[in-house]
Amino acid sequence: MQSEISLISFGQTKFGEWWNKSLRDLLGEAVDAALASAPCTALDIDFIVVANMLGESMNGQAHLGALTSSLLPHRPPAIRVEAACASGSVAMHTACALLESGRAETILVVGAEKMTDASTEEITTGLMGAADSERDAPSGLTFPGIFGLIAQRYMHEFGLTRQQLNLVSALHHANAITNPFAQFRAAMTPDQIGASALVADPLRLLDCSPVSDGAAACLLSTKHRSDLTLAASQLSTDTVSIADRPTITSFAATKDAAMRACEEANIEPQQIAHLELHDCFSIAALIALEDLGFAEPGNGIRWYEQPGQMTVNGSGGLKACGHPVAATGIKQIIDIGKQLRASGNPYGMAHNFGGAGATCAVHILHHENA
Amino acid sequence: MLPGTLLSFTTVQHPPKGFPDRPRSIGLIELSDGKRVIGSLIAPEASAPAIGRAVVPRMRLSRINEQGLRLYEVAYECTARVSEPKLNEQRHFPGYILALTGPSGVGKTTISTLLVKGLGDFTAKVPIVTSRSPKEGDEREYDYVSTQEFQVLQKNGDLVAWTKIPSETEERFYGYRKSDIAAIWSQGKLPVVVTEMHLLQGLSNHFGRRAILSLGLLPPGHSKRAMLSQLLHRMRLRGRETQEQIQERLQNAQQDLDFFTRAEHLFDHILVNEDLDTVLGTIKEHVLALVKA
Repeated sequence: MQSEISLISFGQTKFGEWWNKSLRDLLGEAVDAALASAPCTALDIDFIVVANMLGESMNGQAHLGALTSSLLPHRPPAIRVEAACASGSVAMHTACALLESGRAETILVVGAEKMTDASTEEITTGLMGAADSERDAPSGLTFPGIFGLIAQRYMHEFGLTRQQLNLVSALHHANAITNPFAQFRAAMTPDQIGASALVADPLRLLDCSPVSDGAAACLLSTKHRSDLTLAASQLSTDTVSIADRPTITSFAATKDAAMRACEEANIEPQQIAHLELHDCFSIAALIALEDLGFAEPGNGIRWYEQPGQMTVNGSGGLKACGHPVAATGIKQIIDIGKQLRASGNPYGMAHNFGGAGATCAVHILHHENA
Repeated sequence: MLPGTLLSFTTVQHPPKGFPDRPRSIGLIELSDGKRVIGSLIAPEASAPAIGRAVVPRMRLSRINEQGLRLYEVAYECTARVSEPKLNEQRHFPGYILALTGPSGVGKTTISTLLVKGLGDFTAKVPIVTSRSPKEGDEREYDYVSTQEFQVLQKNGDLVAWTKIPSETEERFYGYRKSDIAAIWSQGKLPVVVTEMHLLQGLSNHFGRRAILSLGLLPPGHSKRAMLSQLLHRMRLRGRETQEQIQERLQNAQQDLDFFTRAEHLFDHILVNEDLDTVLGTIKEHVLALVKA
């Protein structure tokens, strides 16, 4: 990083189904929560970056920069970014660039999504906006379908079994029990996961992250200091359609962003103590562990069979904590911050992607325990 | 409409709005020309979808939309035949090298960068060991050593090919390390070298001509004069060299162009870099053909 960027405060709504709250309400609640623990006042915020994917199609609301800005008394300049499910981390990345350039000194980064008001059909169609409208969508494909194709292929190439795959969501559910902000705080046995309804063969309902409402916010600053700083913020892209890639069992954007992030932070993957990865579907967690450098190809499952030193999705991940699309990337960073403070370890990583890994951002957080 | 092979498949229980038929069976298909598509599957009872199954295209009515428009699609029918497995994990390139040769300014670096980006899982660039000093505009293609160090590498036989490029301004040695190429092979990838005539000759002497998929790149133009003026134009545009260096490179380019006719046997294909996408597409085809061979 070209300047020292501190994560000075953060806050979020509980993720879940919020039928009595609007997109604006969710944004406001997360911003208030972040400000409540801030070492400065709202007036110190000199820029806002808002992340959101489905405002127009699900909530009839665009123009979220100004909308969020009007929640603050002094209405600072604001922009909205969109990169499908990676919107949250792309907002973080954008904020880092603005801080590094000196354009701003204290930025409010907030991501929000309101998804549960629509029918399954509508939300499925809306989310397909993250895929290629000419190459993928005409066949009637959905995101569970895309990851169904990926899972089918992965099982074929590496011999992963259904029983093994069940362990992924089971661990994420177990982790969410202690997270007060999680959408599903109930344990799920591997058998329950294997017996849930088929969604897109071989993926079942409990392989899929849910449709959620929620928002998460944090303040990044070069002026105010904290024990948490950003050691790396890297962004990478790939083709939007999986049909344009040489392989579908590994995501090049994840590999690239992770490699550059470790280079930027000047650390090895082994130094990471806590990892929040993008498990939009169970299979994506295994591929992420491999692409991030924590396992050999085909071996990601070992983190679920014999958990190691590193915490994987301590928050419950997208599966159990919930996945209000654009809030996820920011929530991950918040959770890494909390985990580092609790454990006293120096490094944690957040991995967030959009579509089937067409945009991927990797952030590394450093905790000064002195 | 081409037939193909099923790379993966799924059955979507909840298709998006406007698709009344549910569930929908959908496949990722590699067509016979190597391109991939996503399409819906028709699976007769006798031949359920399975990876590796041959599929044939069928035009059919997909759905009628809200405006009453009849939308047709190409669906893929699974046949009983199972194609030869043409799987990612079997792509290995033992002993092969892809060489791109051409005069300065023809676009070798751009092409190899885009190629490695597009076929990153199969290809990797071989760094060029050089004794020349780093300069602005160099991307990560060089591995800088001192002239003494270069000579030690040479003497120990660590280089598979090396050359000295005449220059008024400095003594410039270039070469490839044996260990760099071996490392790429051990990852199961195809090493890509961006090279010039002496190094190509050296590689060919060391590994044997047949180990190299050798592509020559020429600037567009019907005469040598037209080609040289193209190169001059491109070099000025990219602004990487000084006026002096451009003159020097242009002289070398003249020799390079002669070399294409003199040493035809060193090339498998000569490509004219008029349109980048066409050149990249052709190279990809050649690389993928190598995989299948």
